[in-house]
Amino acid sequence: MLRNYFKTAWRNIFKHRFYSIVNVVGLFAGITFTLLIGAYVWGELQVNKKLNHAGRQYFLQSEWKGEDIHYSITTLSPIAKRLKEDYPSLVANYYRWDGITSGVTKGDKSFREGIQLGDSTMLSMYGFELLAGNPSTALKEPYTAVITEATAIKYFGQKEALGQTISIQSFSGGKSDFTITGVLKDQPKNSVINLNGNNNNTIFIPTNTYAFFGRTSLEDWSNNSIPSYIELKEGATIAGVEKAIHQLIQTNAPDGIKANLTIRPIALTEYYLQKDNGLVKRMLYTLSLIALFILLMAVVNFINISISNAGSRMREIGVRKVLGGLRIQFIMQFLTESFVLVLVATLFALAAYPLASPVFSGIVGKSIPALSSLPLYFVLVPLVMVLLIALLAGVYPAFVLSANNTVNSLKGKLKTVKENIVLRKSLVGFQFAIALVVLIAAVIVSQQVSLFFSKSLGYNKEFVVASQVPRDWSPAGVKKMQTIRNEFAAMPQVSAVTLSYEIPNGNNGNEPQVYKSGGDSTKTIGMQALVTDENYLSTYQIPLQSGEFFDSRMQDSGKVVINEKAVAALGYKTPAAAIGQQLRIPGDPTIFTVKGVTSNFHFFSMQDAMSPIVFFNVYTAVVHRYLSFKLKPGNTTASIEAIQKKWSQLMPGSSFEYQFMDDTLKNLYANEIQLKKAAFTATVLSLIIVLLGVLGLISLSVHKRVKEISIRKVLGASVPHITLLFIKEFAAIVVLAACVAVPIAWYLMSGWLNNYAYRINLTAQPFLLPIIALGLMTLLLIVLQTLKAALANPMKNLKSE
Amino acid sequence: MIQLKKIYKYYNTGSKKAYVLSDVSLDIAEGEFVSIMGPSGSGKSTLLHILGLLEEANEGEYLFLGENVSKLTEKKRTELHRNQIGFVFQAYHLIDELTVYENIETPLLYKGLNSSERKSRVAELLDKFNIVGRKDLFPSQLSGGQQQLVGIARAIAGNPKVIFADEPTGNLHSDQATEIMELFKKLNEQEKVTIVQVTHSEHNATYGNRVIRLKDGLIQR
Ligand SMILES: Nc1ncnc2c1ncn2[C@@H]1O[C@H](COP(=O)(O)OP(=O)(O)O)[C@@H](O)[C@H]1O
Ligand SMILES: [Mg+2]
Repeated sequence: MLRNYFKTAWRNIFKHRFYSIVNVVGLFAGITFTLLIGAYVWGELQVNKKLNHAGRQYFLQSEWKGEDIHYSITTLSPIAKRLKEDYPSLVANYYRWDGITSGVTKGDKSFREGIQLGDSTMLSMYGFELLAGNPSTALKEPYTAVITEATAIKYFGQKEALGQTISIQSFSGGKSDFTITGVLKDQPKNSVINLNGNNNNTIFIPTNTYAFFGRTSLEDWSNNSIPSYIELKEGATIAGVEKAIHQLIQTNAPDGIKANLTIRPIALTEYYLQKDNGLVKRMLYTLSLIALFILLMAVVNFINISISNAGSRMREIGVRKVLGGLRIQFIMQFLTESFVLVLVATLFALAAYPLASPVFSGIVGKSIPALSSLPLYFVLVPLVMVLLIALLAGVYPAFVLSANNTVNSLKGKLKTVKENIVLRKSLVGFQFAIALVVLIAAVIVSQQVSLFFSKSLGYNKEFVVASQVPRDWSPAGVKKMQTIRNEFAAMPQVSAVTLSYEIPNGNNGNEPQVYKSGGDSTKTIGMQALVTDENYLSTYQIPLQSGEFFDSRMQDSGKVVINEKAVAALGYKTPAAAIGQQLRIPGDPTIFTVKGVTSNFHFFSMQDAMSPIVFFNVYTAVVHRYLSFKLKPGNTTASIEAIQKKWSQLMPGSSFEYQFMDDTLKNLYANEIQLKKAAFTATVLSLIIVLLGVLGLISLSVHKRVKEISIRKVLGASVPHITLLFIKEFAAIVVLAACVAVPIAWYLMSGWLNNYAYRINLTAQPFLLPIIALGLMTLLLIVLQTLKAALANPMKNLKSE
Repeated sequence: MIQLKKIYKYYNTGSKKAYVLSDVSLDIAEGEFVSIMGPSGSGKSTLLHILGLLEEANEGEYLFLGENVSKLTEKKRTELHRNQIGFVFQAYHLIDELTVYENIETPLLYKGLNSSERKSRVAELLDKFNIVGRKDLFPSQLSGGQQQLVGIARAIAGNPKVIFADEPTGNLHSDQATEIMELFKKLNEQEKVTIVQVTHSEHNATYGNRVIRLKDGLIQR
């Protein structure tokens, strides 16, 4: 019997090739997308799950009270170690690291690398395996390093690097060789090596080398810029650990911190999904929902086409009933048919997976697990999917057709035709509505993303490239950098160069509390500090509102420049009124005089309101990281090459790892860009599926009404008349779908836009454009399909009846 | 074997009942060859559908092989279709997607015969109807008369006690019609299959041994 089902199924599929292809293509698109998203979601859920004792691994997250802005990912450096030492029944192990970035050189290869100055417990605590080296001694001796497999290949051209040395720069102009005591096997993604996007660490050095880098000891209770992890003892409770932490803070922490800091252990298995207000989790939900809806749309096509096509199958069912078939057998037969189609689509999808996954990983900006890397039980996923979709897509036609009265079936009459049309039209309407929501969302997201890159940034990002420089944070070091900067500025390809600690990428070093000199020192205003030289404004083309910016003679000690936000926050009426005013920072005896006022600009993401900014002079502050170049318009590639050449002359042993400001912004808005790309992918897919569905339905409708069309033509109907007949069928659906889609899209997207302090205003345009576009595409399909029937010789069709 | 007692069949058209069959009482014995005749719309097909358990009467009693079949479960009715009843249609109603061989095999599949039983039974029928050479063709590749031969072969494949045929020769020209009627006659005489046919042709009616005339849903005496 089963063979018979498959045989008829196959022949029916083949006989209705066109509709089968429409179905398979739609399902294929939907299933491929679902598989990719499924694998991606799975990969993201696996983060941190592969660590040793993953269930007992915790990250210490800081919660700060008060105005002071502190990082939540760093905490008091001694606490994790003391937890283990003082509460051995609660905490089994700990790991802490101080993150730095420095220049690393081997022979003629030199790059900037993320480095963890970390505890020697890392390897054993998380079960990180070494390709070479002894895990129990690798991170013990000063001036040794463990490097990742990829880093070994990068510097040595091979994985064998044990016993070799690399040279690493300090921040005071020094350099030292580090002996490699271990090569770390590539690890699955985890929050120990990659705590967040800014921490791509490739080199691990024992904490006892901290003095070389001018860092603070990890035993010092005033050091609160250290990410820390603990492993709980089996059976230990979070409440117990929190109590222990509280006690340690109360007995050891400095007074300013005691009252303000709470440290919460967060399970590492949860941490990755929850961090940044659940950013990853929300993205996973969004993508899963999109995949679900796209798949549903493809299934809807299937149902619609099967129902429309049902007439041709009805006689067969009637005959089979007369021959002694049971209803359940017809249901099985139809399900088999839908099973075969879904199976074909799924096989195609599996075959396409390896080809589509690089494209898709480009879209989400993360790597997608290969099919072979998924666990064995994943074989069940496509299987279950095939069965489920086949059931979903086949069950309605199966039941409707098999329930029809035998005699009616033989006459080719479907009793429930009326309900059918309503159902079918609502299903098509559902598809249109989803496609519209996706389309509107894509338009709005991309409008908002263009805002991020627009003129409203407050500075000019065009032709600006920045690169980190070797660090020598001493007056002599800055002086040397100033000379180098001037050499660059003299190049014909360059119009301005600036030395600074910050570039407008949302990462700055300091958030001082500022108050008016002579005012109340407890009423401070949190500001963002930028350390720059005198060329910063000209390089980034930030307008000066009043006063002057720094000058080049290094005579600006005690002078600061603020932005208009700071002017307002401090309570001065105008920028001019702020000039010459004196400011102070609690705990610092210096009295700062305001020398100038700049316009506001977006240093941080537009998610946040622009904040008060205070500029400090690099010659006094000494710390610096970047040289930013404003190139002259023209051949950018040649200009970059020229700078590159000059760079290696002026700073041998350091590399010009430049980034255009545009790319820097792309990092800052990586999530939004990811969402934009996902929205566009979803748009393309949903359009394909909707239009396939429309194509199938119109073609069936034309096919059924071919006689009617002929009679109407004989009676004098023109071609537009006939086309209009079919357009009417769909026009109402598009309008209704729009009525449903617009409020949903408006609700979703205004919710999303509200995450941003700076957002586009929702106008009618992002709503109207998609509706018109979808309407036109549908119209075009209808006209193309009906034209053939409308133009055909009517007598031919009438005779064939 | 067939007993109809005061059968009524009507459709609700608007508020009124439109009677298609009124007070139809009828006995057909095993081995008979009955022809139902009457003008178009007189209820012949409806009567045949009721006899063949494809439709139910609104009133009256129907005994098939001595069993009251007025209210049967789907399963019981399907049992009878598999084992006792064969149908032949004016429009042949072969399954387009199946070959001649597979069309004939289908009722045997539903009957649950194993593959070798099916093979021998289909081979026997193909041989008997002289269509062995066409067994792998699809219905669209056959003439009307050939299609109806396959339709009859399929109807008798399950060894039914009775065949209901609704204008089996209605779409055929006279040579083909004669062949089909001869075949029915042979089945009736040699294999003792009871046959009930609807026909418009007085000539075809002569192949049978009794004629029932219907007019406006009433049996004419
Ligand atoms: N489903 C139905 N609904 C309403 N009237 C019907 C239906 N089926 C058949 N009829 C009517 O019943 C009458 C008898 O039909 P039928 O048995 O097919 O006649 P015949 O086969 O003798 O030509 C006709 O008038 C037809 O219009
Ligand atoms: Mg009739």
